[in-house]
Amino acid sequence: MTTDELEQLLAQQPVSLLHRLARGRVHRHFRAGKRRLIELLLQHSSQNLAGLESDLQTLLAERQALPQRPKTPARRKEELAPVHPKRHPPPTTGGESETSGPAVSLANWLEGIGVPPPQPFVPDPWQVEALAALAEGDVVVSVPTGSGKTYVAVEAARRAMEDNRTVIYTSPLKALSNTKFTEFSRLFGTEKVGILTGDRQENGQAPLLIMTTEILRNLLYDAASGEIDVRLDTLGLVILDESQYLADPERGVVWEETIIFCPSQARLLLLSASIGNPQDIADWLSSIRTTTCRLIRHNKRTVPLRAGYLHPNGKLVPLFKTAAIPYGHPNQLHPEAKRLFMQYEEDTMPSGRPRR
Amino acid sequence: MPPSIHPVDLIDALRQKHLTPAIVFLTSRRACDEAMESFDHASVVLPPARQEAIDAVLQQVIAQYPSVADHPLIPTVRRIGVAAHHAGHLPSWKIAVEELMRQGCLDAVFATTTLAAGVDFPARTVVITQSSIRKARDFTDLTIGEVQQIAGRAGRRGKDQVGFAVVAPSPYIDLSVLTKGLTGHPEPIDSQFTITYPMVLNLLKAHPLEQIQSILAKSFAQFQLNRRAELLERKLDALHVQMEPFGPRICTDWITQWQTFDQARRQRPQRHQPRHESPELTARFHFMTPGRVVGLARGRGVVLRQYRSKGQRHPMISVLRPNGSVTECPAAAVVEIFDRVFDCEETASFPWCSAASFDELCYQLTELPPRLPVLPILVSHESAPLPDTVVQSLGDFPCPTCPSRPACQKDFATAHRLRQEQHRHVKSIQALRASLWHRFQERVDVLQKFGYLTPSAQLTAEGEWARLIRIDHSLLITELIRAEAFSGVEPAVLTGVLASIAHDDDRPGAFPRISPGLSSLLGQVRKLAESLSPYEEPPLLRADIAAIAERWVADPNLTWIGLCRMTTMAEGDLYRLLARTLEFLSQIHALHATHPGLADTASRAIALIRRGVLEELP
Repeated sequence: MTTDELEQLLAQQPVSLLHRLARGRVHRHFRAGKRRLIELLLQHSSQNLAGLESDLQTLLAERQALPQRPKTPARRKEELAPVHPKRHPPPTTGGESETSGPAVSLANWLEGIGVPPPQPFVPDPWQVEALAALAEGDVVVSVPTGSGKTYVAVEAARRAMEDNRTVIYTSPLKALSNTKFTEFSRLFGTEKVGILTGDRQENGQAPLLIMTTEILRNLLYDAASGEIDVRLDTLGLVILDESQYLADPERGVVWEETIIFCPSQARLLLLSASIGNPQDIADWLSSIRTTTCRLIRHNKRTVPLRAGYLHPNGKLVPLFKTAAIPYGHPNQLHPEAKRLFMQYEEDTMPSGRPRR
Repeated sequence: MPPSIHPVDLIDALRQKHLTPAIVFLTSRRACDEAMESFDHASVVLPPARQEAIDAVLQQVIAQYPSVADHPLIPTVRRIGVAAHHAGHLPSWKIAVEELMRQGCLDAVFATTTLAAGVDFPARTVVITQSSIRKARDFTDLTIGEVQQIAGRAGRRGKDQVGFAVVAPSPYIDLSVLTKGLTGHPEPIDSQFTITYPMVLNLLKAHPLEQIQSILAKSFAQFQLNRRAELLERKLDALHVQMEPFGPRICTDWITQWQTFDQARRQRPQRHQPRHESPELTARFHFMTPGRVVGLARGRGVVLRQYRSKGQRHPMISVLRPNGSVTECPAAAVVEIFDRVFDCEETASFPWCSAASFDELCYQLTELPPRLPVLPILVSHESAPLPDTVVQSLGDFPCPTCPSRPACQKDFATAHRLRQEQHRHVKSIQALRASLWHRFQERVDVLQKFGYLTPSAQLTAEGEWARLIRIDHSLLITELIRAEAFSGVEPAVLTGVLASIAHDDDRPGAFPRISPGLSSLLGQVRKLAESLSPYEEPPLLRADIAAIAERWVADPNLTWIGLCRMTTMAEGDLYRLLARTLEFLSQIHALHATHPGLADTASRAIALIRRGVLEELP
């Protein structure tokens, strides 16, 4: 191989290969550009072109032997993304959640929109499980918003009332209490449902009482100090809705007091939105109550959720590369959404000063 | 480009893609109201059939809550099928909007993110326009749990096959907070257990002091503290294992022994060489005067000057070399000092001697014979004797002659660090296990000081009724009752004071004038709250809030609309203020056994508050 041929061959190679070739041959080769690098290599090996050539051939052979890697940048990103097997549920395999491949189109993203055909109501397995567990002990339910926690509350209340037990249902907000009062009155009949809030008392002797958690706490304090409330004797079930309020800086203490002083013969049903450590709550309840506490949790939404991005100019694009939300992979943004948002940030940036 | 999408365009876009009904979460109440106003000039009008459907639902609600009937938003809602729902509205209006949403009459609702938990109606789509939320006084990023709570409103069971969470950017949005929130795992929650005065009183009423600790131990707070303590205990066990090689040696507690010995040793006064130079160097340095011929590692030279340089441990000298160059070198580099000195006329600047003597020295250097006599320098090796006190204190230690001294010296650093860590862990474990109990005892001390508890932690007569006040600022309220601040006051004044105690929002506004009686009483309350501030966070005690509540009770002919006109407060806030005051009043009413007069005033106040909007509503 003549010098010219060798030069041509070198020129065809990617610069990374040239750098590997230059290792040990050319001082500070990483500073040189491709053309200069070839020049330096030839200059260095002018006495030993055969050696250079054979090294080049070995490198080329190595390159051939390497498995072919698809070079889409997204794929590479996915490999680099840290995976936390403990914290995040692994991406479910299935049509929608496939993580690789090209980004989803808007049409696909919008697919399936609409009203499902009417179906007879069948409780989800977790709902059945929660109700069954409630027969044996306390239950903590931690499921995503809108999964049907109310169904569990209603069924549990119905069963307890059939056993002639009193049921207390508490919610953190007066507005929610009122909504539930209306809802339960419709379901069980007005004479069976009562409400006690700070400023409203109706049908206080009903078997199903709706109240704010503070009121229940006060009732329990009164009972503890001897002013026995008759209803607490027959109390069979206490439902604490939105019990993630346990972590509320101002009012969380009320939930703890309520749970601590809840009579032991009453079952506790804690309904909470998805939280990070429901097992801790269940362990805590098991440790202070006479029965063991079952934890019912799941992260799958009944109605699947998709995320989109709406640009100020009215353009709607999917937010993530996949139609479904890629749980555990916050960086898999749809390229179009990413581009539009970057453009938005640039346009709205206050002049002369970077944001934040 | 506008900083965020226009509400009309937003709703249009959602309608086009069949993404309605939607809940649009906006930053503030004002944003919601402005979004509604922006529809004033929009040309889109609902078909008559849908307008009638809205009317029908509204009529149902109005039958139950008459105050909805003249809500100013009704015409807009009818025309465009979009409504606003936030804390500034009356509960009855919110119920109406929720009902409309449930019946599927509305295309969109503008709501505030702050009230996301209270928005108890689902939709097909949720529009998120911000990544932070106003908590207390400043904005904090939404947590993963909050983002999922908001996004969770999308997708109605049985009515939708899929739900949509749409991000519509506005200024100050951080997309990464939202994407992390949507794809992440919610945060673990922590206990926020605090010990309040009513809690202490009620616990001591029902249980003797000895049992309290076991009751506090049942809290989630203690559960979590125990978890942390267990973690530390495991670390402590690991430390014990690590400490094993450092067990008792010739003395049992050799670590302490070595530590004190080491300290005593270090206390010896500094020797006469502050810079730790070798005695040879010190002795020789005196001879390196300008003009002296010295031998360096390579060749000879004439010293031109001595100096100390900041970066150098040793003193430095400038040397003239035979080739005429001036070099700097540390005095320690000098190998030999010769018994030959030339005259040298020193100067303050380079080359450190006058030009004439520089030339002369150069010449002399080249002319030097190859062998030169070396200057004999005596070096004293004897070290100064230790002061007597130190010798005596060191004499108490067996260490200097102890056979395990090298081992002790070697291991001390590791062993000492491990032992300190051990002590730290033990202390934190104790603190974790007992912190709740300590906080409880602090509260007990305060209550004893004010006479609600006897020294043996029994409830006094005062404590017996004070435990029935189970609201915020309970100490202030019970102290006010004890100071008879409320004796003989009108129901209106009582209401005003309680309202100002109950109100904890510092949004500014314009409010009516306050009556002199209430004003002077409020002054007293402020003074008392100030004096109680070490024990209880004082409330805001705003005079304008007191005045508006007083007005509502004092003037039975005042209509709700009239009251709202007096102030810039939103009617929802006004409603909440009065509802909260009602709660406080009903707590006062519970004292009828011990304070019949006050309880009577409270019940009269309750009756007076409950009229108009406050009567019709839960």
